[in-house]
Amino acid sequence: MTGLLEVTGLTAGYGGVRVLHSMDLTVAENEIVAVLGANGAGKTTLLRALSGTVKAGGGISFAGRALNGTSAARIARSGLGHVPQGRGTFTALTVEENVRLGVISRPASTRAQADGDLDRIYDTFPVLREMRRRPAGALSGGQQQMLALARALMARPRLLLIDEPSLGLAPLTSADMFSVLARLREEWSLSVLLAEQNARASLKVADRGIVLARGRVVAAAPAAELAADAGLRAAYLGESPDGLTGVSS
Amino acid sequence: MTELLQQTVSGLTTGLVYAALALAIALVFQGTGTLNFAQGEFATLAAFVSFALSTAGLSWWLIVPLLVVLAFVFGAGVERLLVRPVEGSGPLALLTVTAALLLGSNAVVALIWGTDVRSMASPFGGAVYHVGPLTFTAQAIGGGALVLLAMLLCGLIFRFTPLGLRLRAVADNPDSARLLGISTGVMLAVGWGIAAAVGAVAGLVAAPTLGLSPELMTNALLLALAAVTLGGFSSRLGAVVGGLLIGVLSNLASRYVPGIGGDLQLVVPFAVIFLVLLVRPQGLFGRASTVRA
Repeated sequence: MTGLLEVTGLTAGYGGVRVLHSMDLTVAENEIVAVLGANGAGKTTLLRALSGTVKAGGGISFAGRALNGTSAARIARSGLGHVPQGRGTFTALTVEENVRLGVISRPASTRAQADGDLDRIYDTFPVLREMRRRPAGALSGGQQQMLALARALMARPRLLLIDEPSLGLAPLTSADMFSVLARLREEWSLSVLLAEQNARASLKVADRGIVLARGRVVAAAPAAELAADAGLRAAYLGESPDGLTGVSS
Repeated sequence: MTELLQQTVSGLTTGLVYAALALAIALVFQGTGTLNFAQGEFATLAAFVSFALSTAGLSWWLIVPLLVVLAFVFGAGVERLLVRPVEGSGPLALLTVTAALLLGSNAVVALIWGTDVRSMASPFGGAVYHVGPLTFTAQAIGGGALVLLAMLLCGLIFRFTPLGLRLRAVADNPDSARLLGISTGVMLAVGWGIAAAVGAVAGLVAAPTLGLSPELMTNALLLALAAVTLGGFSSRLGAVVGGLLIGVLSNLASRYVPGIGGDLQLVVPFAVIFLVLLVRPQGLFGRASTVRA
């Protein structure tokens, strides 16, 4: 099976420090893949390397085209969306202006449907419709995360890279976030590469998971299998075998 | 009362020039986070170019749009060729480049046209109009209208066009803009171009009143920087209002406050700014961060 995204021997780093070491990865059409790993494992760097915001070596092929050496702006316009860690909100712009910025990297053939998509997005995230004339900087963390997703969806991406959507969110808000993600795949025929520290929640929505440690893939398996593997979770995800995160008695 | 009004009108007329230059400075600052010290010199250069074009016999109807286009290309070109290469080196390197641009363009203008003050005929003619007790020169009316039009167009572009939305997005969060497919480099060059075009109009309008010389915008640059500080660096409207306020204040102070003649008049706006910043460090229109954590 050839995937929508095929990554072989990917390396990346900052300055002289190499963070990713020869990484292989495939994401198929309409698949959700969770990227798990502790802090510093290389999840964010992997996503940045794919979206062209960090220099990368090795092979990246997306929808049959090589992305190496392509500018971040051009990669975005080729249908690969990136919801960055920290949400990347344009704080001085209104909520609706933020969402409309997503239209820029839309394929020309779907420009005409932009208004319809905006309505759909507002139906999925009603709070954004309510607040559409407010400055985006005034939204709460959870609302800004919704906004970042909405903006990325407006570009009609085929693959969405989502970095730590639950970071800094209250547990309930975070649960909302994951249930929205599961719905979006069907409604927007998306593939998703989801980097998360919250292994449990992300494996619930994902088809497959890969586990990173020190810049390498140390495990790759269907989500259910990974979720059941208590030893793996203890070794790489900072969970104790009974499932309590990072607490030792 | 009549005199107070007349002084206010004349303050507004000079204030418009400061306002346009301040707007140009604010545009560049919002886009690149740097102060372009050469913004005034760009305007001076534009004034000389318009002088040369009109001496060559071109109609002002042609010169004004031509000047705006030339200034846009010049500003964008300067960003691409001289600013972009040092962009990653931090704000101090950028400041040094714009300071060098100030000295460089000043020297080039002096080399080509000399340092003597020339008189430049007003594009709007020498007519004088009386409205009730007030007197308006054609230069003041036409120049004021032209600057207002330039600022208004600039505001409309930023507020209501897709290009403006992109420019604002890049100014707000360049990393995020890139992820949405916006070519930030192109937008920065466009921002510098628009700033230079607005500044060019300011130079063109200032020259007939102040006399054409390489020092045309030297004081205006200081006052425009003051205007931006007063209005708030994050606000385009603030820069414009700041410019108008400074024009009026310095004019009124020199007329009505004993001991402040033409020379001390420059000090007045700075005293006002000092007081404003004590109370509102972000400037009159600036946003104290409205961002939630």
